Amino acid sequence: MKLNTLTIKKLRRFYSIKRGYYAFIFLGLLILLSFAAELVVNSRALIVKYQGKYYFPTYTDMIAGETFGLDYAYETNYRELKANFERKNDGNWVLMPPAPYNAFENDLRSDSAPALPPSWSQRHFLGTDTSGRDVLARLVYGFRIAIFFSFTLIVSTYVVGIGIGCAMGYFGGGFDILFQRLIEIWSNVPIIYVVIIISSIVVPNFWWLIIIMVCFGWMGITWVMRTITYKEKARDYVLAARALGASNVRIIFLHIIPNTISVIVTYVPFSFSSGIVALTALDYLGFGLPPPTPSWGELIQQAWTNFSAWWLGASVITAMVLTLVAVTFIGEAVREAFDPKLHTVYE
Amino acid sequence: MKVCPPSFTVKAIARKSGMCKLRVAVLMLYILFYGMIFSACTTEEKSSGQTTSYPKNIAQKAKYAGPLEKLPDGINWLTNDTDPVFASDQAKKGGTLHEFLASFPLTFRVVGPDSNTSFRSAILGNQLNLTGLHPNTLNIIPGLASHWAFGKDKRTMYFRLNPKARWSDGVTVTADDFVFTLEFMRSKHIVAPWYNDYYTQEVERVIVFDDYTLAVVSTKAQPDLHLKISLGPMPRHFFGQLDEDFIRKYNWAIVPNTGPYQIDTFKKGRYVRFERKQDWWANDLHYFKHRFNVDKVLYKVIRDTNLQWEYFKKAKLDYFPATLSQYWHIKSKTAVVEKGYVHKMQFFNDTQRSARGLWLNLNRKIFKDINVRYAFAHAINVERVIKQVLFNDYYRLENAYVGYGPYSNDTIKARRYDIRKVSDYMHGAGYKRGPDGIWVKNGRRFSVQVVYHVEEFTPRMVVYKEEARKAGIELRLAKLDPAASFKKVLEKRHDVALVGWGTSIRPHFWEFWHSVNARKGQTNNITNTADAQLDRLIDAYRDSLDEQERIRLAHQIQLKVYEIGAFVPTMMAPYFRQVYWRWWKFPDTAATKTSESLFDPFSRGLFWFDQEQNEQTKKAMRKGQTYSPVTLIDETYKP
Repeated sequence: MKLNTLTIKKLRRFYSIKRGYYAFIFLGLLILLSFAAELVVNSRALIVKYQGKYYFPTYTDMIAGETFGLDYAYETNYRELKANFERKNDGNWVLMPPAPYNAFENDLRSDSAPALPPSWSQRHFLGTDTSGRDVLARLVYGFRIAIFFSFTLIVSTYVVGIGIGCAMGYFGGGFDILFQRLIEIWSNVPIIYVVIIISSIVVPNFWWLIIIMVCFGWMGITWVMRTITYKEKARDYVLAARALGASNVRIIFLHIIPNTISVIVTYVPFSFSSGIVALTALDYLGFGLPPPTPSWGELIQQAWTNFSAWWLGASVITAMVLTLVAVTFIGEAVREAFDPKLHTVYE
Repeated sequence: MKVCPPSFTVKAIARKSGMCKLRVAVLMLYILFYGMIFSACTTEEKSSGQTTSYPKNIAQKAKYAGPLEKLPDGINWLTNDTDPVFASDQAKKGGTLHEFLASFPLTFRVVGPDSNTSFRSAILGNQLNLTGLHPNTLNIIPGLASHWAFGKDKRTMYFRLNPKARWSDGVTVTADDFVFTLEFMRSKHIVAPWYNDYYTQEVERVIVFDDYTLAVVSTKAQPDLHLKISLGPMPRHFFGQLDEDFIRKYNWAIVPNTGPYQIDTFKKGRYVRFERKQDWWANDLHYFKHRFNVDKVLYKVIRDTNLQWEYFKKAKLDYFPATLSQYWHIKSKTAVVEKGYVHKMQFFNDTQRSARGLWLNLNRKIFKDINVRYAFAHAINVERVIKQVLFNDYYRLENAYVGYGPYSNDTIKARRYDIRKVSDYMHGAGYKRGPDGIWVKNGRRFSVQVVYHVEEFTPRMVVYKEEARKAGIELRLAKLDPAASFKKVLEKRHDVALVGWGTSIRPHFWEFWHSVNARKGQTNNITNTADAQLDRLIDAYRDSLDEQERIRLAHQIQLKVYEIGAFVPTMMAPYFRQVYWRWWKFPDTAATKTSESLFDPFSRGLFWFDQEQNEQTKKAMRKGQTYSPVTLIDETYKP
């Protein structure tokens, strides 16, 4: 793909803003890592060698304990299996991920009640929550869900918002006025309450939440798009396209939108962080994704009700601050790099 | 911890039993943790100033206007002054008990719109009935009536009023006040259809023989008659003729009562204060002596739980419920407790336990197979949750009817977690383990949704889920808003519901298990159980007037319910726990068998305020002196 010189210039400028650039690398790595979370934080072993045969349970179906000569038909407890093999020392071995817990299992002990503080020997690097689940695992999988949620939310709200905003700016007149009023009214619906009401009646799943949030969250970007489109459509290239007989759809999608991308991009990081915050807030209030979905909001809720379990609050707040600060740094850098004043010359 | 305490007021009992009749089940569902606290609330208006605005107040006692009947011969008058007393003669009068209300009540009326708040029990607690129940022996004891007798028709009870009985405005309590109870409760002006119906369908009439002798007649012969028709009085001299204005007019009226306390001042939204009557008519009676010791009871509105706890630590509240593990084990590790200013007490009571557990919907195809139901029960690891999540604070509930005395079938033991049994039953039902370890038959996975509505239950629910997964059953957790959850369950749209029911003195079976209540909305038969043999047993139980036969049938019904396997009992906490400032004193046995709190100023009132200790402790706190911490465990009534 060949980038145009202007874009390259913008990217160079972004790269030169070190704070944003490193935040981008950091967050990018985290996201990549979270996609491979099953290899890092998981109760399933990476590799099991049993009686000369190799097993890779990470992404397969459940392997019952019976397969490895244990006396149960449910999923193998690989941590116990590992301890077992080590004790017997007959050539079988298990390679566990660095954090050998998944986000759902309850690691309960008979001598103490959860939540338990961080323990290197138990490999609960960030402790356990009030149900004995590993906090690190909940954080990592919760992060992945939040990222995916936020990403899906941005794509959907932007598709709707940009479409309608562009149409308003492009067609103007009655259509514009009608939608302006409609958006003003619609914006007054308090989204958080709507979500709370709906999710107290039905248990929302991931897509439900996305649909509800898109329904009430697409308006933000329309104002920006409307304004830019008004500006862009008065430009010569639009007139030229029209003179050549291009259709409205073609003009909007192939000419106007590509020329507004630089503005849209500057909004993305901030929408991204607000998506994460929205999901966390809903989960905190108990109206987000249903339990036992790992979630940061639920961890904050636990931290709030269990002040003595400091590791809950400490880990989730640190994770949240790091992520949101990183996103903000990226956002600032993007905004600066894409600032049109740097790249245009007034005639 | 139980929200629906066994109540000894006729109205409360009426409420419970009749409710089932009406199949209004929502009120009976309750949440384990929300029960101990009256939540109530009010605007400063001196009650004396208020009552003057009611025209009929302190009117002359009107004579009973209806015809007097002649008392039948051969009545065998009974009384009870031989059961042991439960108050302490060491008790001293004085002091103020500070309590909190989570919200101010919407009205002081006890019937009509918005009246069914928990504060209602504080008002009703100060209204005596004709007879009461002894909290330890559960025998009948005198209330407003000093003597009573049972009619041969098993539907009439005769009462002789205590001539000393007075309303709080000094007017004598007479038989006419009970006639007025019926008129009042049947009046359409009180806008309480349930009461209208109950006092028409259940109580036939009140017969007056003279001012101090009356009879109450039930519409049908029934066992435990006294639980149904031991009415409370209503002051005709206060209300006079009821009219359409009733609801508005009596919203904040301080209605004369017959109990130990009366509201003396309140400020809407802020507080309500009760004051002890200095010359209460029952002060020196056998079962009332040395009780109701504090001079004042102040309910202050504090909405936030954390704030309530902070108030308690500052000694602005006198006690705090600590049944929740969180408070008992963790939050109470605080300076005032460790320095011995605040004591902790765990009191084991012995009363009806809520039928709390997982209720399976037998209308769901998967649960039609009894093997699957048994497998489900064996896949719920209650023991692990109790031991490893809940600090070993709870006990396994064995049956839906625990704590009903002889009516409970104690031979029944709940099915324990056992993966092997699950496996046997599932193979028996023709299932196989699927690729994810979940049982499958004809492409159908054993995956069911579990509906619940208490946020605090999530930690234990996720453990059930994980343990069930090992056994090959997938539980999909659905935490709904309480109203949405009740609706879903009452309309029988659930697979499995985690529900706890309110209790009553005798076990109720018809509402929960009879086929006439199956497969229709808004009934308590949320399992859709329809079993002909069970129906016959339940009908026989309902028709029987013989106690021994009823007990035998109750045992058979419970066994049958166990065999059907639609209910998986989870856990119970057969005690309550409280923390309180050390200047509060109690009898040697701090509470009664049926108590729900150490501090129940109107229903038991056994505690008292020790002025000396109060001053001593406050001095010690100023000077930084400490005492050794105290944790008391009273196991007198531990079964």
